[in-house]
Amino acid sequence: MRVLTAVIAIAVGLMVLLGYFFAEFVGIQTLLLNWAVILAGVASLVGIFNLIAVHTDKVRRAEKGGVYSALLVIALVATFVFGLILQPQHQIMQVLLNGIILPVEATLMGLLTITLLYAAIRLLRRRADVMSVFFIITAVLIFLGSATLPTGDVPVIGTLIRPWVSQIWALGGARGILIGVALGTLVTGLRVLFGIDRPYGGK
Amino acid sequence: MIFAQSENILAQPPSRGGQDDDVPSWLAGLQNESAPEKDELMDWARDVSEPQQPLKEEPPVFTPSQEDTPDWLKQMSAEAESKSQQVSSQPASDSQFDADTPDWLKQMSANAEPVEAKTPQDAPELNIDTPDWLSTLGGADDNTSSVEPAVFTESNVPEREAESLPPMDMPDWLKSSSEVEEEKPSQDTTTPLWLKPQVQSQEPELPAWLSSAEETVYPDQTKEEPAAQDDLLGDVPDWLKAAAPEKTIFDSQDELKSEVDASGGTDWFSAIQPSGETEVESNIEPEKVDPFASMPAFTPESQTDESLEGLFTEMPDWLSSASEQPSTSTPTPITNEDVLPSSNLPSWVEAMRPSDSGFSQLTSSASDQTLESRGALAGLHGVLPAVPGFTPTSKPKAYSLKLNASAEQLRHAGILEDILSAETSPVPIESFSTLLSSRALRWTLSFLMLAVVFSTVFLRTQIFSMPIGRPSEVSSVIQIAQSIPENAQLLVAFDYEPARAGEMEAAATPLFDNLLLLKHPRLTFISTNETGSVLAERFISGPLAVHNYQSGVTYSNLGYLPGGQLAIRAFAQNPSVISPFDILGQAAWTSPTLQGVTSLNQFTAMILITDNADAARVWVEQTQGLRGDIPFIVISSAQAAPMIQPYYDSGQVTGIVPGLYGGAIFEQHNAGRPGTARNYWDAYSIGMLIAMALLLSGGLWNLILGLREKREEK
Amino acid sequence: MQISLDLITGVLSFLFTLLILSYLIGDNPLFRIAIYLFVGITAGYVASVIWWQVLTPRLFSPTIPALFAGSMIERVIIIVPWLGAVFILMKISPRLSKIASITMAFLVGAGAAVIIAGALIGTIIPQVSATINFFDLNVAIARNINVAEVIGNGTIVLVGVVTTLSYFHFGARPQANGNPRRFVLIELFAFIGKIFIGITLGVIFAGVYAAALTAFIERISSLINFFGNF
Repeated sequence: MRVLTAVIAIAVGLMVLLGYFFAEFVGIQTLLLNWAVILAGVASLVGIFNLIAVHTDKVRRAEKGGVYSALLVIALVATFVFGLILQPQHQIMQVLLNGIILPVEATLMGLLTITLLYAAIRLLRRRADVMSVFFIITAVLIFLGSATLPTGDVPVIGTLIRPWVSQIWALGGARGILIGVALGTLVTGLRVLFGIDRPYGGK
Repeated sequence: MIFAQSENILAQPPSRGGQDDDVPSWLAGLQNESAPEKDELMDWARDVSEPQQPLKEEPPVFTPSQEDTPDWLKQMSAEAESKSQQVSSQPASDSQFDADTPDWLKQMSANAEPVEAKTPQDAPELNIDTPDWLSTLGGADDNTSSVEPAVFTESNVPEREAESLPPMDMPDWLKSSSEVEEEKPSQDTTTPLWLKPQVQSQEPELPAWLSSAEETVYPDQTKEEPAAQDDLLGDVPDWLKAAAPEKTIFDSQDELKSEVDASGGTDWFSAIQPSGETEVESNIEPEKVDPFASMPAFTPESQTDESLEGLFTEMPDWLSSASEQPSTSTPTPITNEDVLPSSNLPSWVEAMRPSDSGFSQLTSSASDQTLESRGALAGLHGVLPAVPGFTPTSKPKAYSLKLNASAEQLRHAGILEDILSAETSPVPIESFSTLLSSRALRWTLSFLMLAVVFSTVFLRTQIFSMPIGRPSEVSSVIQIAQSIPENAQLLVAFDYEPARAGEMEAAATPLFDNLLLLKHPRLTFISTNETGSVLAERFISGPLAVHNYQSGVTYSNLGYLPGGQLAIRAFAQNPSVISPFDILGQAAWTSPTLQGVTSLNQFTAMILITDNADAARVWVEQTQGLRGDIPFIVISSAQAAPMIQPYYDSGQVTGIVPGLYGGAIFEQHNAGRPGTARNYWDAYSIGMLIAMALLLSGGLWNLILGLREKREEK
Repeated sequence: MQISLDLITGVLSFLFTLLILSYLIGDNPLFRIAIYLFVGITAGYVASVIWWQVLTPRLFSPTIPALFAGSMIERVIIIVPWLGAVFILMKISPRLSKIASITMAFLVGAGAAVIIAGALIGTIIPQVSATINFFDLNVAIARNINVAEVIGNGTIVLVGVVTTLSYFHFGARPQANGNPRRFVLIELFAFIGKIFIGITLGVIFAGVYAAALTAFIERISSLINFFGNF
């Protein structure tokens, strides 16, 4: 099985990769990627099934918080059944999205405002090094530069410093991070293609 | 626990002058010390003392009533009872004894009888401390006691007296023992080797690792000679059975019986006697003190590679190496030739052989008259020694490890101790004042933000100016929006979470409102986020509802594409194959929206609405080279914009609308149409200013506090 | 009907917003109920989306026509994803989960190729080129930008890129005392890189805060609008 999975991974990877550089492989690349799209969808469903299984198990074992798990499972199954019957774009399903999913997520996101502020205020007490100091100074400048006054942009900071910091200084760091991430991604992909890493369960 | 207590009982000082002669001396100690704590022991002791009247009938050790006896004692007494039934029911009947006794035992008793005949003069003190019942024990008891003296009884029988026993009456190996003692009188002992580990094993306060080591060893021992041991026990006298490893002592009665019954006439033990007569004397060599020698696990014989391996399988390396060291430093116990090689003997028998290593453990001052009154050792003196320094049986093990550990091993042990102490040491809890202040700060922040946002939104204030300056990335978008032709085909990718719907809609609405109003583009929606396609529907039927766009006519929603990068690449490569239908199940690419479009670069422009910098990166990467020269606009959340900026700088992204700030700028160029950004802007500006003020002041304050704390720490 | 659905949406939205905001007081059962319901509904919703927008159009619908009316190639093309789907469903059973690794290998192999090409073509080459092009004076003149400004900004960006990358370089050599230590130049670059990373993270932090603040404003606004509308 190990060899088989490794062969599949490497062969598929090579064919998809060749599709980037040779027109002859574009067809096979599209076919393989189309299959991958379908299989990714199935994998997502399996993930959701796993969520059901975990919480059903919690309910069955009457673990602490089992009531919440029961709520979760009931809500999940009910929504799925309604979705199967009505389709996701149906108005009733839109009610679920606009009445529950969106408000909950957005409110959680809103609560992050206070948490972020609190954490930033206390940062320098815990860690007062060069990076933290520049972090706080930059954040203060961007806050000030992003706001406006009744008369318009905050002079100098809003019109000069903020764009300069965010478009030049931050650009250097962001580009460095992006290139670093890309290099890491490249190496990771190559290790998979060479069969050194087998995250699919081969090793 | 019970064993430990009984062990302590046995360790009590011998009889006192004032005590009744009928009461064994050890019982006095028992009553004095254990009575208040252990009623069980009291009862037990009472029961033991009661049978002194019917001594002639039965050995008193086995008389305790079954109801009052603890289970373990019942088991032991039952075991012993069976022996006594065999041996003592015809107390001094030599004839019957002869009939039932195996030959080798007869031989032993024959050897023993003269000893008994001569012992009276040797053991007047013994008789003082000996209960009557013991003196009434004839025949069989004599048999046991006759074999034992040199090995087990040390007590207060003077060595001289023991030595005065005629040599011909003693087994040869015993003789050799006494000779060794003669040579090394200071290395006297009261305990056989095998008994010490047994006593130690009963110690309840053993460290877990140590006890586990013992557990590991015993099976190995039995594994070495399992059959031999079982067979041997069949013919071995009862007292000797008790001398067998711990397991045998606690075996059930049935098991023992079956063993006895099943045992054949193994001659190995009798064979030892004659052979030993010639050789053993010279075999016994004085041994150096070995802290491990007293433990069966560390007897030389058990220290084979295999057993050691089994012993240390569950021990850390440093510990196993620590225990290896003493074993290597231990002098080989018996180097001379044995007639019966030690490897052929069971380990416990080997351990039982007189050896200086055992004797040397104890000082010559040890003199114990403790009389065993129960179990297989009943009637024997000083079998379990009461030497004061001997009682804390768990100590020697720890002591020996410390002694034999090298510096490196000690260092490792130190590290382990540090780790353990770090694990177990209490985590200092933040002081109350710190907790209070942090909670107060959190509450203050919550209240402040809620109050500010609520008041500004509720009052619909428009005090603060919209941003005036136009960053280049936003200016680019404005230019593109103006340059897009009428009725253009735009591809719009929705890749944001519902959490950011408020921000993304506020940022995207001005651009789309402007486009839909002025250019009437045909829109194609695609999403690589599960909720993206539904959010697209929400967007078109919410903020853009005034434009009355119709699915399948002016826009097509191709739905959700799972697979992330894979899906984006596949879609960019061949969109009509990957997403042939819209969410209504209609063929999308033949609809008016997508007529004439077969590939990505045939769209007029691509607009990505995302809250995720990674999503933007993936769209940029996977459409690179396939989107041709079409403009690529990213409407991003404020949080993703900094990481998309490099792609704008490199020209891969044509323009960016960063969050509410970008939306507010764009809104000012939207033909004066009001938008969401304006409604939010005052609250947004005040929120940013508050954040700036709090971060500056709070940051400075905490910086000072942090520096002060560091200075105090130093 | 439309109005009533809007009302339901508004009530639900108001209710759930309050339940989540109750977390400001502290963790409580109402907050938990809201969270568990949210997770369940979202998962169910996503499952239905996958069913209708992925599996139905790409797998279920084409199967019957392909099997009964399609060519051999079309049959193979539709059977393979079915096989893959069956394999991946084996993941549910612990005993058969190994079979799922075939499909996972397929996905991982394809994904690896995609990320390799994407990183190389989409990020590394263009970004390195852009860093170099920052010093392109012709571009600066064409965009009517001061040369000194171009060189100055280009230098900042270049230094930022190099030092940030240096910061993530963890190669070190053992010293005489056995402790590993980075090359001196790398140490220096990494120190400067810290400054750039601090600045970048500061900008990102401000962006995250701005996004969160906008969401907060939107939620408060929806609460107020709910009372205003009804």
